[in-house]
Amino acid sequence: MLRRTFSLWAASLAASGLLLATGAASAQELRVLVHSSFSLPKPMLAQFEAQSGIKLSIIKGGDAGEMLNKLILTRAQPIADVVFGIDNALMAKARAADVLSPYAGAATQRVAAVPLDGPVVAVDYGYVNLNYDKAWFAKSGLALPQKLDDLAQPAYRDLLVVQNPATSSPGYAFLLATIAGMGEEAAFDWWGRMRANGLKVAKGWSEAYYTEFTRNGGSRPLVVSYASSPAAEVFYSKEKITESPTANLFLKGGVFRQVEGVALVKGGQQSEAAGKFIEFMRSAPVQEALQTTMWMYAAEPRTPRPEVLRHAVEPTAFDNPPAELMAQKGADWVSRWTRVVLK
Amino acid sequence: MAMHRKRIPPVLWLGLVPLSFLSLVMLAPLLRIGVEAVTGASGATGAMVADLWREDYLRWRIIWSFVQAGATCIAALVLAVPVAWVLARFRFAGRGLLLRLLMLPFVVPTLVAAMGVLALWGPHGLVSGWFGIHLQDTPWLLLYGNLFFNLCLVVRAGVDALGHVSAARVAAARTLGASPWRVFWRVEWPAIVPWLASALCLVFLYCLSGFGLALVLGGQRYATAEVEIYTLVAHELQLAQAGVLTVCMALLTALVALAYAWIEQHLAIPGRPDAIALRRPASWRQWAAVGGAVLVLGVFCGAPLLAIAVRAVQAGAPAWATVLEDDSLQAVGNTLRFTAAALVLAVVLGVTHALAARRSVWLRAAAFLPFVVSPVAVAFGLLLLYPQWTASLWILVAAYALLAYPFVAQSLGAALDQLPLHLTQAARTLGATPWRLFWRVTLPLVLPSLRRGMAFAAATALGEFAVTLFLSRPEWTTLTTLIYERLGRPGAGNRDAALVLAALLMLLALLAFLLIDNPGRRDGTRTRLVAGAAHA
Repeated sequence: MLRRTFSLWAASLAASGLLLATGAASAQELRVLVHSSFSLPKPMLAQFEAQSGIKLSIIKGGDAGEMLNKLILTRAQPIADVVFGIDNALMAKARAADVLSPYAGAATQRVAAVPLDGPVVAVDYGYVNLNYDKAWFAKSGLALPQKLDDLAQPAYRDLLVVQNPATSSPGYAFLLATIAGMGEEAAFDWWGRMRANGLKVAKGWSEAYYTEFTRNGGSRPLVVSYASSPAAEVFYSKEKITESPTANLFLKGGVFRQVEGVALVKGGQQSEAAGKFIEFMRSAPVQEALQTTMWMYAAEPRTPRPEVLRHAVEPTAFDNPPAELMAQKGADWVSRWTRVVLK
Repeated sequence: MAMHRKRIPPVLWLGLVPLSFLSLVMLAPLLRIGVEAVTGASGATGAMVADLWREDYLRWRIIWSFVQAGATCIAALVLAVPVAWVLARFRFAGRGLLLRLLMLPFVVPTLVAAMGVLALWGPHGLVSGWFGIHLQDTPWLLLYGNLFFNLCLVVRAGVDALGHVSAARVAAARTLGASPWRVFWRVEWPAIVPWLASALCLVFLYCLSGFGLALVLGGQRYATAEVEIYTLVAHELQLAQAGVLTVCMALLTALVALAYAWIEQHLAIPGRPDAIALRRPASWRQWAAVGGAVLVLGVFCGAPLLAIAVRAVQAGAPAWATVLEDDSLQAVGNTLRFTAAALVLAVVLGVTHALAARRSVWLRAAAFLPFVVSPVAVAFGLLLLYPQWTASLWILVAAYALLAYPFVAQSLGAALDQLPLHLTQAARTLGATPWRLFWRVTLPLVLPSLRRGMAFAAATALGEFAVTLFLSRPEWTTLTTLIYERLGRPGAGNRDAALVLAALLMLLALLAFLLIDNPGRRDGTRTRLVAGAAHA
């Protein structure tokens, strides 16, 4: 009976091969790979298509880290011509895998508000840091922590939720900030003490914010999020509110500056159209719009800042490890973190 | 099993359809990623298998995966059998609706379900408000989460199975003086074991490959081996290590699937088409039994859904206005289109597979392959194998169908085993062609089970499985992806919109279940069938 089943299987494999030999996709369009947070007003994209005569084919590749891995895996036959969403934390990996091509158009001649080296053209930037639930702290009477070390004290037991750096971009960024701010050994010592002090680890940002954060029915009044989140809370509030229910907590070793951008995919087609798209991402309308669609700050200096972003004050200091160090040790840090916090 | 026949029986050729499909969208991609793992920078070696087991952390992941899946199966069995018995024997108002409502947990996005569960059992939940205890961060909440999703599978299989128990046999046992308890153990239980085994096998595999609620509720400490594979592949690109883990898990789970296939084929008893009629509960004890069954389902499946619905209603008019936005309407359209397409494909694959699998244990076990193999490995394999098609619609629909069709095959397979032999034999004697036999006798007999399988397949397609693993396009946004988009941003407005969209998704799913798995038509089929049998 086994043999019979397998002879059937062999026949079906042959049939499949035939089917595969026929047919291949060919379309004269620009394939744009983006991460899952990419969001621009539809009319704006439509206007770009009408003016440039380029048909945009937008492909969502998951979380930024996941998206880059998909790009690396398919580098022999790239799935896109241009990619948006590679940031300073992922840059080293993208470079090492050699999946991007340099671009030297007009946008690269203008100095961005924040630097991003390598073949990626900076489009926007933001900060990963702690957010806290104002109402919870007011009610409990507990003082806000003044430094990361406070969070490892018994008074702050079971109060913080972070994302797993292995599966989440903000989680990874926060880990990088602790290492840059405290030094590698002290940082992992802190993580070990945090584990003993009831640190909760969620898979990603949504899980942390919507099931663990006290604002949304959870038990943790402190969450790793973005500096822009309090402004988004105001923007997406139910009723008109003048003050955000959450606020930023900028602690030494707890702020990472993230700069993300757009780049040509090595081996991609349509490089001229791809260049137009890169310029488009740095154009004034996109730069202004992305601040309240993707909740990042504009890379183009002198872009007017929407009123609501006054609830999202930029921190004055941040802790990013040097780029070479991130490139060398990023993966080791994540596995060490897994050992210290989860295993 | 027709071992005396040397040539391949014609019905086995039907197996070509599902086998080609499995080869194309599952096995070939898996082989491709296997090649990548072996030839990659740090190739997979035998030593890695040993390391895998030696490392406490990964060993704990594998053991934990099996422990939680096993515990869920036992709990589901203990809870589901009495509930199924009550639902299969008594007629009461709302019974049909209840059977369909049961499947809703399948449709709700994991994150929304977690929000519903926490609204009850979380630190600020309703239950903790009453009793001052909360279950967040305890293993009980994980078990609860697993039961929330899987209890319905076992209950539905049990109700179907008990509906096939021969009335004449039960009546005979009763006449001979057997107590209802004895009748259950000696007549009904042996008849329903194969059905329960197949449903429990699905539950086990589901929990094993669980990405689901347990992880969201329990945090990263309760991650299963599948989550480990996902992290290794999608985020760390450690294909060699992931490959070794995938193969180990696939082998272990394949044993489960094979064991089930063997059990089902050897324990199946051909049934008789004299179903026991539903009766109204007559005594207070029977009413109490009905009440108890409804209570169990309410606590384990209904309460979190109700919590979501209540919160969606409380969200108020501005949140409900989002339903009429262009994005939402497009998402509803996409959800319906993709579900319909996946369902058609799943029915074709499921029916051909079930028919062919009657003759082969191996084929039977193969119906579980989509649940045995890590979906993230398949998704990345597809990406490597067909890069030019990865952002095309057919891959997405094929992925939906891949995860939906085992329900059709499993449900139909169990029903085919119970086909009364004398009916088909009579029809053949009277000169019916195989095709006519299938159309006039077999199909009407198995239709209720086919409908049940289709309803579950539709539920899978409507739900979130695998959608996040594959490449997507903004214009393909479904309700589920839209809900996740909303929950990707802060703000009460986004949270409320997500809850409202989840309520809408549940409503749509309920309509779909009523359409596919209509209780009225189901009873009609049975009557016609008995009449038809009388004619034969």
